[in-house]
Amino acid sequence: MKILVVDDDALAGEMTAAVLEEAGHGIVLAENAIEAMEKLNDEAGIALIVSDMNMPMVSGIDLFRDLREQGVDIPFILLTGDAPGPLKATEPRLDDCLTKDFSLETALIQSINTVMARRAG
Amino acid sequence: MENRSPSLREKVKQLRRTFVDKLPGTLAEAHRLCELLVRVPADDSTLDDLYRTFHSIKGTAASFGLLEISAEGAGGEQLVLQLQGLEGGARGQQLSALLPGFQQRLERLEELWKLARQADEGTGGAEAPSFDLGKDGGKDGAKAASKKVFLCDDDEAQAEILAAQLSCFGYGVTIFTNPDSMRAALLVAPPDAVIMDIVFPGGVNGTDVVANLHREMRAPPPVVFVSSRRDFEPRLRAVQAGGEAYFPKPVKAIELVEILDSLTLGQEPEPFRVLVVDDEPEVAAYHSFILEQVGMTTRLLHEPASILDVLAQFKPDLVLMDMYMPTCTGRDLSRLIRQVPEFISLPIVFLSSETNKVKQVSALRVGAEGFLTKPIQPEDLISAVAIRAERMRTLRSLMVRDSLTGLFNHTFMSQFLETALASAQRDTGKLCFVMIDVDHFKQVNDTYGHPAGDQVLVALARLLQQRLRNSDMVGRYGGEEFAVILQDIGTDEARRIVDDLRADFAKVRFTAGDGDFSCTFSAGIAGYPGKAQADLLRESADQALYVAKKSGRNQVQVAP
Repeated sequence: MKILVVDDDALAGEMTAAVLEEAGHGIVLAENAIEAMEKLNDEAGIALIVSDMNMPMVSGIDLFRDLREQGVDIPFILLTGDAPGPLKATEPRLDDCLTKDFSLETALIQSINTVMARRAG
Repeated sequence: MENRSPSLREKVKQLRRTFVDKLPGTLAEAHRLCELLVRVPADDSTLDDLYRTFHSIKGTAASFGLLEISAEGAGGEQLVLQLQGLEGGARGQQLSALLPGFQQRLERLEELWKLARQADEGTGGAEAPSFDLGKDGGKDGAKAASKKVFLCDDDEAQAEILAAQLSCFGYGVTIFTNPDSMRAALLVAPPDAVIMDIVFPGGVNGTDVVANLHREMRAPPPVVFVSSRRDFEPRLRAVQAGGEAYFPKPVKAIELVEILDSLTLGQEPEPFRVLVVDDEPEVAAYHSFILEQVGMTTRLLHEPASILDVLAQFKPDLVLMDMYMPTCTGRDLSRLIRQVPEFISLPIVFLSSETNKVKQVSALRVGAEGFLTKPIQPEDLISAVAIRAERMRTLRSLMVRDSLTGLFNHTFMSQFLETALASAQRDTGKLCFVMIDVDHFKQVNDTYGHPAGDQVLVALARLLQQRLRNSDMVGRYGGEEFAVILQDIGTDEARRIVDDLRADFAKVRFTAGDGDFSCTFSAGIAGYPGKAQADLLRESADQALYVAKKSGRNQVQVAP
């Protein structure tokens, strides 16, 4: 599956990408929301977006809202440094919201499986 | 985590190491942002940047399992949150209350960074040698890891020469001939610093490229501009684009290295030292507090009578002086200071509620550098002091250093020998003076050209500096001749040390054109107490050097 990873911190983005690549996914990286939009236009077949929350200018959640406003319905998982509860509450349409920590690797793969299964069903 | 396959584990380890390597830079950035915020508390974008810096430390460190680092990042983030939503004035007040907290977090992060780095080194952190010295026997911590530098210049031949010279100083240089390819590489893996030409074919401008990078990246690497233009306009654009320095071509590698060192070390240069002279303790304490908040070191003096002792002891970069004190005026005191040759160029800044221009001018006439009117805004005080102290440092280093190698010059070495000798007579009882001369240097210049010769001198300078202790003074005496003062060391040990250096220097490979070559040096040593005067030490070392040359070169001789 082709996944778009959006993170302004190149290191964090690569970390996420490494985890996903390991699970057999193809990765497209973007450093900010604008680049993410470009990548979505340029690259065909992106099936999932994994985005960091805290980015300069356009935050992860704003990116999500913009996309939905434009009618882009690709599943969207938000990563945040804070507890995910409040974000999930303010934006229930999010497919999932995860805390970035050392367990991200297992948590992210699990979340992707759940999200994709839900979407398929 | 249990199911990590080797390749992923390797990759994560690599990324973790990158994070740890970069942390000092991140912390320096946080320091810088804090200082910026102290100066302009109302600037929301600075506050946002600071928030993001801590936030990213918290998040990324957690991803790598560096939980303590993450917790400190979170603590910093909380502090920033307490400032958000406050207006300029209130924010300024809250900021001064929180500043010690920020300081504490950053210091703790630095400690944690050291621990994390040790852990990495324990698992085989790769460290590249600075230049090919064979298997080294360097002193503890004297060896620097190789730093990554991108050099962007459409003149490839010139770029290669510069890259070769920089590699002698431990910089790994990647050359790009067009800005676009550099930008692409930089976004993937930012280097420690960028050297950027300004004029490119097709009207592309290096300053625009860098200005764009600053918009695109949160923490772009520091940029040094080089250009064949010496006029005002490109310099201004370089500053506006966020350039840290500007060098007209041809660039001297040593000057570039000095800047690169300070930009990439990840540690602040030594703090400015400021002596605050004011008869009112509260006023002096207030001013010193402001300066210490931004990392300067201060000393307070309430009693003008002891000024000369304090100056000699504290060695300030600048004196901040009240204009009116009960025992004497600032004007008299600065005149008194100026009569001591040592302090003739020491910057003095007056602080006073004096608004009378005539009186201000009369104060400036006795050599005050500037005049600040009380009450002074903290940011004005800080910039007034920092600018003058910085200039003083640069001037001082120009006066005592050799421009090619960055080593101390002949004059300074002669002075220092006197001082060191006096201190040896007083305390330690031992000292050695070493004269070093590159063998057949004229042949190197004639065969391979002067740039190659310069490379040899620079490499030898670097080797001496890296391998000797901080207390050892290394100078360039002129031409291909170097002098070293080894303190608290007898001639036997000195011979061993210098002979090790000689053997290692002979292993260094220099490249010139298609071929490569190596060089050797001869050395002569004279020691105190055997030789009890500076002149005698110099003459004897020189004679020993002559013997070394006569006996076939590439050897070390001790004066009888």
